[in-house]
Amino acid sequence: MTTGQTILTIGAFMFLTTILMNFYQVVANTGDTIASGQDGILATTIASSYMEIAQGLAFDEITDTSTVALANASALTSPSLLGHDSGEDSLALYDDFDDFNGATLDKQALGTNRIYRTQFIVSYVNPDNLLQTLSSRQFVKRLDLKTWRVFPPAKSALDLDTVKTSLVLGYWHFD
Amino acid sequence: MSALLDVIASILFGGTLMMIILTATDIAAESQATHSGDMLVQELLTNTAQLVEGELRNMGFGVPEGESAVLRAEESRIHFLADIDRDGVIDTMKYSLGDTTEMRDTQNELDRPLKRQINNGAVLSVGSVTTFRLRYLTREGTPLASPVPSDQLAEIHMVEVSMEVQNPYAPTRDPEMVGSGERNALYSTSLWQQTRLASQNTRR
Repeated sequence: MTTGQTILTIGAFMFLTTILMNFYQVVANTGDTIASGQDGILATTIASSYMEIAQGLAFDEITDTSTVALANASALTSPSLLGHDSGEDSLALYDDFDDFNGATLDKQALGTNRIYRTQFIVSYVNPDNLLQTLSSRQFVKRLDLKTWRVFPPAKSALDLDTVKTSLVLGYWHFD
Repeated sequence: MSALLDVIASILFGGTLMMIILTATDIAAESQATHSGDMLVQELLTNTAQLVEGELRNMGFGVPEGESAVLRAEESRIHFLADIDRDGVIDTMKYSLGDTTEMRDTQNELDRPLKRQINNGAVLSVGSVTTFRLRYLTREGTPLASPVPSDQLAEIHMVEVSMEVQNPYAPTRDPEMVGSGERNALYSTSLWQQTRLASQNTRR
């Protein structure tokens, strides 16, 4: 084998190695993309479950037991005090919508080892513009949720999607 | 002598190359089949989940205050009340899990139909699932034993639905590669789990 043939052979193998590495990279990426689809499904269902629970709660601590806030918005919880009250330190004990404010809850999907973390923020919002949060009491509150997988950990932050969703709850009555 | 060595070396290199290409082709085919299966089950799951989610979402809609929205609560069967078609008449919705023998014509031995019935209408299959599990919780989040006795039905505040879908057909594996307790085909799995209120507008 001449030197030229040897160099040509080595070049061909390098070329083949590059093609194979690209090929395996594509296969692995496709698998990761599809696996993240499952993550998206579970994260969405977990976020929906929390929203469903939140929707079944009272609008405010005071509206849970009285109707005084119907004519007096100032009776509602102060914007700076939104959050769970003393003793209401678990999801099962939450009794009004803003108890979720500031909470971070982990949930393991049944039948898997995957654990998803959800962060909650509750704010008063402008009834005419639900995207605008306000620092004054209103008859409309918005719950913002962020859900992502914490176990098994992602290889990198870029491999992990976060589901962001919001729920708006208004306080109203029929005349 | 030199020519003979060249030939031997070429055969070795060529053989290695052939092995690499054959392995890569096998991996590509298996990955393609697996990924297609994964996508299929995710689509099947979301389609079935959308229907179930939509109807469970309306559980208790139109039911007078004080009446239980759930009529029967078992691990894989639920009967509930809701005015599904919004005509002012409360309907009885029934969801139940069929048997694996009802889907003998599919390759997957674990899949079974998810059945739905409105009032006394026909029982229809609304999807193929491998798991359909229901858990019932009180207002305090305490799980109720299943099946829930009739005198405890009114205590059901939340229903947790878990559903798993696998593809009905999957590429079979080489019997030599199948270990003890493993399945003989590359079935893909997708999970869905959600908590729903047993009655809407329970608090204000």
